[in-house]
Amino acid sequence: MPRLILFHRLILRPLRREPARTLLTVAAVALGVAVVLAIELAGSAAAGSFRSSMETLAGAADYEVTTAGGIPAGVLTRLALLQEPLKLDPRIEDYAVIADRRRTVPFLGVDLLAHRPPEGPSDSASFSRQDSIWTGADLGYRTGDRVRLLINDHANEYTVRGVLGERSGEAIVMDLAPATRILGRAGRLDRILITGPAPLDLLQRAAGPGITVAAYGSRTAENRRMLAAFRWNLRVLSYIALVVGAFLIYNTISVSVVRRRAEIGIVRALGAPRPAILAAFLGEAAALGLAGGLAGILLGRAMAQGAVGLVAATVGSLYVSSTPAPIELTLATSLLGVALGVAVSVISALAPAWEAAQVPPVEAMSRGRRDHQVRVHSLRDLAFAAVLALAAWIASRQPAIDGKPLYGYLAAVTLIAASALAIPALISGLTIAGAAPLGRLFGAEALLAVRSLAGSMRRTAVLVGALSTAIAMMAAVGIMVGSFRQTVLLWMQDRLQADLYLRPASPAGADRHPTLAPEVADRIEALPEIAAVDRFRAYEITYQGMPATLGAGDARIVARYGARPFLSGANPRSIFAAMPGRDNVIVSEPFANKHHVRAGDTIGIALAGRPVRLNILDVYYDYSNERGYIIMDRSTLLKYLPDPAVSNLAVYLKPAASLESGRAAVERAVAGRKVVVLTNRSLREEAIAIFDRTFSITYALEAVAVFVAIMGVAGALLALVIDRRREFGLLRFLGGATAQLRRVILFEAALLGLLANVAGLILGVLLSLLLIYVINKQSFGWTIQFHWPIAVLLGAITLVYAATVIAAIYPARIAAKLNPIEVVHEE
Amino acid sequence: MPILSLQRVRKDYITDGDPVPALREVSLDVAPGEFVALMGPSGCGKSTLLNLAGAMDFPTSGAVLIDGVDTSALNDAGLTRLRREKIGFIFQSFQLLPALSVAENVELPLMLAGRPEARQTALDRLRQVEMEAFAARLPYQLSGGQMQRVAIARALAPAPKLLLADEPTGNLDSSTGETILQLLRRIARQGTAIVMATHSAEAANITDTVVRLRDGRVEAIAAPCPA
Ligand SMILES: Nc1ncnc2c1ncn2[C@@H]1O[C@H](COP(=O)(O)OP(=O)(O)OP(=O)(O)O)[C@@H](O)[C@H]1O
Ligand SMILES: [Mg+2]
Repeated sequence: MPRLILFHRLILRPLRREPARTLLTVAAVALGVAVVLAIELAGSAAAGSFRSSMETLAGAADYEVTTAGGIPAGVLTRLALLQEPLKLDPRIEDYAVIADRRRTVPFLGVDLLAHRPPEGPSDSASFSRQDSIWTGADLGYRTGDRVRLLINDHANEYTVRGVLGERSGEAIVMDLAPATRILGRAGRLDRILITGPAPLDLLQRAAGPGITVAAYGSRTAENRRMLAAFRWNLRVLSYIALVVGAFLIYNTISVSVVRRRAEIGIVRALGAPRPAILAAFLGEAAALGLAGGLAGILLGRAMAQGAVGLVAATVGSLYVSSTPAPIELTLATSLLGVALGVAVSVISALAPAWEAAQVPPVEAMSRGRRDHQVRVHSLRDLAFAAVLALAAWIASRQPAIDGKPLYGYLAAVTLIAASALAIPALISGLTIAGAAPLGRLFGAEALLAVRSLAGSMRRTAVLVGALSTAIAMMAAVGIMVGSFRQTVLLWMQDRLQADLYLRPASPAGADRHPTLAPEVADRIEALPEIAAVDRFRAYEITYQGMPATLGAGDARIVARYGARPFLSGANPRSIFAAMPGRDNVIVSEPFANKHHVRAGDTIGIALAGRPVRLNILDVYYDYSNERGYIIMDRSTLLKYLPDPAVSNLAVYLKPAASLESGRAAVERAVAGRKVVVLTNRSLREEAIAIFDRTFSITYALEAVAVFVAIMGVAGALLALVIDRRREFGLLRFLGGATAQLRRVILFEAALLGLLANVAGLILGVLLSLLLIYVINKQSFGWTIQFHWPIAVLLGAITLVYAATVIAAIYPARIAAKLNPIEVVHEE
Repeated sequence: MPILSLQRVRKDYITDGDPVPALREVSLDVAPGEFVALMGPSGCGKSTLLNLAGAMDFPTSGAVLIDGVDTSALNDAGLTRLRREKIGFIFQSFQLLPALSVAENVELPLMLAGRPEARQTALDRLRQVEMEAFAARLPYQLSGGQMQRVAIARALAPAPKLLLADEPTGNLDSSTGETILQLLRRIARQGTAIVMATHSAEAANITDTVVRLRDGRVEAIAAPCPA
């Protein structure tokens, strides 16, 4: 009981006396928690609980059979001949676009006689009709509806014969035979699901070499593994706002302690033991954290709704097609939110609460003296900072652990700690050097502002630390994304040499490669305006348990027109010349990094059931997806997978032909088919638009972190006005105008902003180097060239600066409104 | 013309909705260079009177004229100018700014007023109170008497015509207090009027005039009677 009274008198009452500041602190924690939760929830919905959109109607299968380029029909026969009670479920898997909804959904060919849809006719004649489809329950169609579907490069009307049962999602299902015709699969299957007891090695032997037989769901597991790194990075980013919030809790509790030293001394003299004091201040932090955590849950749930689309877009364009699951706020996630809020608060409050417990019963020291001691320590802290910076440098040289840049993150955290330790020295340095000139230049207000920032060094250091950390993260991610963007732009300039690009209207994704009919290419090649057509085909494959993309183009044409920069710096011509007709390939940088291969290595993959060994001639720069490419010549591909359909075409015009006439001719040649014709320029614009969309979630996360920091500045300035109210009253006695009082606060905010920007930019550049050369390289495997996104940086910093000063307006008004007689005489 | 003139001044504070009089019908003139002691029991209205005299607060009725200017007639900017040019304050608890050095504390009113040569003037004032050797120190490195001398130098910095002191020796031992009083005495001789609230009879003794207040009224105005 006495402890509760103590808590109430020492903590709760003061908190209630300053509702605005208490609210700001709680809001900062709430936002930090909310961002983490939002990313957690959105991540789970869009990537974490990843279910391939192809899992529809799979039931409780035990095994799945797959291979790159499609399973030959013989495999199904051999499996069927096994003397085992097995249920075989062959299927074709692709995507269709519902034309009027512009929505891409899974399009499956299954054996309807075996599956027996719950609705609609069940005779084989209706099944085999070219226009019969069954639709997933979530699509909302009814039997008899007519649906226009865009599949690969053609669009047709289909009739809904029935609606599928529960858990059929948004899939559209057709019988195997008509689906094979519509998709042009020439008897190859995409997957065979096997249900029933049978040893895996027996199945593998029956399927033959080059065919992958695995426990059902291992593809999904692969995808999950691939997405894990992505989620990990996203998660780390989402913690930035919470880290910034931690600084602010630290500040709030420090202010509480400093303000109540006298009270603590009295309470101690009256017999309160040290642990009681410690508990009281930790209790304050826990209460703030609890309130923040609870508010953060609701806010996080709301923010997740906005984030899920952004995360899904990134996943879709970089990794794999999936449909985001509904956002589920579970009890576990809610508890995580509250726990995070409380834990971060209590941990940040440990140091100041400990200090409170050390206050001697006779508290005689004045604040001025204490801050003086802090100043003396700033040199020692600077030395620590140097040691930490060195540690960061060493950590940054370490390799990834299990594909995760753990040492890179360690280096980042160490660097942030180093900068926090170096900040007091920066502040003393700048204020000692700057006070006199600033005072001369801007008058008493500037002198007061500089002196009091230096005078309450600890508070200033924490504020600058919080704001500069947020600015640093913003700058670092800004520089990284800006560099990445510039790298991609330059790379596209090299890579995209053709005048026109064609692809089916059905949208492609990182794992989706709709096809064009081969005669399209032939027809275009025959046009008089055309110099060359590069036929590119992509297949989804698995290499060493990770998804990858196998691609094939015309090496001769690429050698003639398209430069493709190689890591080795070798002459592209000689490399491309060695590709046609031979099992020679080039691989993209992310592939090489992920699978630890390099020029001269040999890799084994299976194509249509045939194991193939491929020699890697070189590694090329690529930023189009993170899964990684293996590229061979078209002649090599056709040797193993004779399907002549193409995924896209690069068309080179004759020098005499104009772009307009060439484009018109091509469009005439493809009339009647659903084909998208893009000029070189529009393709680049589209690519950069996708790039920007991919990183929009990153920007959003940073913006929240900066916002939290600025809220903290506002709260801290409010506390500062209250703590220094006597000083402000005195200034009125000394002939200060109210405008001058306001200016003192604004000046302090401006100086805080300046210090934070200087420290933040230095730290930000260092962090960006880590992001570019260590973290990104180790997580995604691509080389990014460092570029300064000057305009973006300047814009962001100006904005932050303006926001910092704006955050000071309210505290400044409070300062000007104080009654000088009251505040000077109270004591 | 008196530098400070209170004419039938009444000051009510509103407590719980009711006006509570702190000063009633107070009339008082202070001539340039005059050293006035305000005496009376606690709560009689000394500090209230000083606040009115310093244009920090305003009478409920009656008028306060500083160098002939009615404080109630001025707007905020006018009041600020008046305080900057005519008035200096000294407090019982010194009220130095802890983050500023001694010299900067003294400079402060000059800088707030935008006066040139602030540093030179500040050092002159510090010499006047024999504190120039401490110019670079921070307040916490000074004794109470030294702090009060710095505070006096600060109050004198803009060369005010009226110095208002609220129990300036209240926090000091008697011998240090005596030095401060001698200093004030000298300042008054040089032409700055001083109004000083005090509880101490010794302090009142060195002044020119003693004003006795009781329950917000002037009880007596007389020359100090040496003990
Ligand atoms: N802000 C205020 N609100 C209400 N009443 C006030 C206020 N300030 C002073 N008073 C009252 O006015 C009266 C005069 O107060 P004042 O501070 O002038 O006394 P004082 O003579 O300076 O006393 P002391 O010698 O203790 O300093 C007192 O009764 C006091 O309670
Ligand atoms: Mg008083």
